Amino acid sequence: MSLIFTDDQKSLAQTVKRFVADRSPMPRVREVIGGEHAYDAEVWSRLAGDLGLAGLIIPEEYGGAGATHADLSAALRELGAGLVPSPLLACVLTAGALLALDDEPAKHDLLPRLAEGGLVGALAVSEPGERHWIPGTPATTATGSGDAVTLSGTKIAVLNGAEAGVLLVQATGPGGAALYLVEGDAAGLTVSRDAGVDPTRSTATVTFDGTPARPLAGDAAAALDRVADLANLAIAAEQSGAMLACLTMTTEYAKVRYTFGQPIGAYQGVKHKLADMYNRWALSDAALREATRAADEEPAKLGAAAAAARALTSSGYLTSAKETMLLHGGIGFTWEHDAHFYYKNAIAGNVLAGDGDYQLDRLADKLGV
Amino acid sequence: MTSTDEFRARARAWLEQNAKPFDEAADYDLEGTAVPLEESKRFQKALWEAGFAGITWPEEYGGQGLGPAELIAFSEEAADFELPTGPFTIGLGMPGPTILELGTEEQKKRYLPPLLKGEEIWCQLFSEPSAGSDVASLQTTATRTETGWIINGQKVWTSGAQHSDYGAIIARTDPSVPKHSGITMFIVDMSHPGVTVRPLVVATGHAPFNEVFFDDVEVSDDAVIGRVGEGWAAAVVMLRHERVTIGTGTRARSNPLGFDSLLELARARGLNDDPAVRRRLALLYARESALGAYGRVLHEESMAGVPIGARGSAAKLAGAEQALWAADLAQDLLGADLALGGADLERVVMAVVAAPGNAVAGGTNEIQRNIIGERVLGLAKDPGVDRNTPYNKLKLSR
Repeated sequence: MSLIFTDDQKSLAQTVKRFVADRSPMPRVREVIGGEHAYDAEVWSRLAGDLGLAGLIIPEEYGGAGATHADLSAALRELGAGLVPSPLLACVLTAGALLALDDEPAKHDLLPRLAEGGLVGALAVSEPGERHWIPGTPATTATGSGDAVTLSGTKIAVLNGAEAGVLLVQATGPGGAALYLVEGDAAGLTVSRDAGVDPTRSTATVTFDGTPARPLAGDAAAALDRVADLANLAIAAEQSGAMLACLTMTTEYAKVRYTFGQPIGAYQGVKHKLADMYNRWALSDAALREATRAADEEPAKLGAAAAAARALTSSGYLTSAKETMLLHGGIGFTWEHDAHFYYKNAIAGNVLAGDGDYQLDRLADKLGV
Repeated sequence: MTSTDEFRARARAWLEQNAKPFDEAADYDLEGTAVPLEESKRFQKALWEAGFAGITWPEEYGGQGLGPAELIAFSEEAADFELPTGPFTIGLGMPGPTILELGTEEQKKRYLPPLLKGEEIWCQLFSEPSAGSDVASLQTTATRTETGWIINGQKVWTSGAQHSDYGAIIARTDPSVPKHSGITMFIVDMSHPGVTVRPLVVATGHAPFNEVFFDDVEVSDDAVIGRVGEGWAAAVVMLRHERVTIGTGTRARSNPLGFDSLLELARARGLNDDPAVRRRLALLYARESALGAYGRVLHEESMAGVPIGARGSAAKLAGAEQALWAADLAQDLLGADLALGGADLERVVMAVVAAPGNAVAGGTNEIQRNIIGERVLGLAKDPGVDRNTPYNKLKLSR
């Protein structure tokens, strides 16, 4: 398979781009994040249902479309470019974890509902005071056995935890760290939405106090390793799209903003920064293409390729979002301008599902350094 | 089997018989002296006799009259071999195609066949000590005589001038018009007594280029390539061919500043467990593999008919930045031993010293950023305050 988009992928990207422009342009995003809900339920239902994004990479036997990671990344780029609030990332990771486990009843129960978008899933792994986003031995514990398992502990930065119908929770049980399924309305479950820096993403702090849970069969460590790769792919795709949006926005501005008798883009002080923004995006996007290619056809290389792509996109997007504010001058620092939403998205995205050092350590591990 | 497949198979068979396999571990031939000149000439002649020189050039000028598919097939097969054709790279890649495009019938008949047959070597004479990024401000003059022109001035960064029989030179023929308008391109005989070639020693201590001095060098009217006063357009044609030549380069040697080499260096020095070093090595890998992936994206797009346009400048800039970034890491791995030197470190130290060259050769990083800004992103052009001023009224470095 090649690194460039197929006609189908171009067409999917165009469809999602048009949808974002029609249904979730920035003025609408501002309304949503100013309201009480994490995302526009109508937009999510269309993204998941009409456009089929929730089930895109879920195999057909579990009600999905069985499409490729390159397909999904074509769509995620456009959603990232528009900063569209949605639980898609959380659902992709939940489905990815389930698919990597061996729990057929859970797969048959949950994956079709995730695929059609009716169910939002969330993954609860990070814990307070733990630097790694996937703890080796979680402080959250699972006690009891059979139908009487309960969880106790606290999980942080749970993506769409407040909107989730089910949570996959990593906890230390009798046999070590494992994954448990918790219903969103379970007893002893307290979910509190965070006031995070990025209003386009919803995270939550989740506490379990004797909360009923069901152990999920399978290798939890392997499943979470897979989730780390999927998170890197998906976040890198959103960030590549957002980087390009920042570059486009700033380039357009540099063509129409005049100082000293010329468009500011004529000055090398501005032009060269934009050229560097272009290169950061072009190389990050190429790394992402290589990572999705690995995911689709050379899984042994996925871990390194996904961490490499993520290491470049997260740091690159942060720099480009910052430059976007700076090159817009005063207007770029106002609330009225969109630049600060990208900057905040970049700041939060840089540490989501593992910060820069975590990704480089992971990459070094995968490369055998 | 298509005719291209047959051609490919024939090329493969010939290369296996006549060329050495590619050796990734071999050092770069920095001064072009690894292979004796006579052997290069003999090989080029054999290549032509076998039907693999001038693949896309017309038959009446010694070419094979085939299409780009055959050229690509040959290049792909040739990548697995060491072809000692270095002295002909410039001639075949730049002056040759330019003469083919702009030259007179007499010029094509006279100069192209000997070039293909390995009988004559060419160089390109553009850059000057005071005209680098701004080549059009060049100061070398060609003054009218009754029968032709007399050239005076100096060129620099000339690859292969010491071996060359002919050069393609651009010189100022009319200083009273704006700088781009008063330039003409000529064919100059490098054996003229007024031509002096001096090796140009660079920071590494090697001399991969030359300075060339012109002292009352006469050329005739039929030495003009294209038209008088239209030398800038001819230079643009030649530079377009240069980018293609560089862009379709052969396989890379193992890079002393690449991830594999620096990982080995870190291990040899017991630094690969240091968390900060591990992270920098990981980032080196990420950057290097992204650069490779970007090259493949551009290649696939060009194969699919999507124009690369000026995005080659993005790849060129990224490669130069990568070399400088990796050189910083190599220095930190070497620490104080960098100052001590020693035979076992010579290769990596030399690569560190050579790294800035990537950010200058073939257009500085600043020029690449201008190109990306203007031609990829469509930003307003640099104002070019000298664009409409007569050359003889310009402020110039002297």
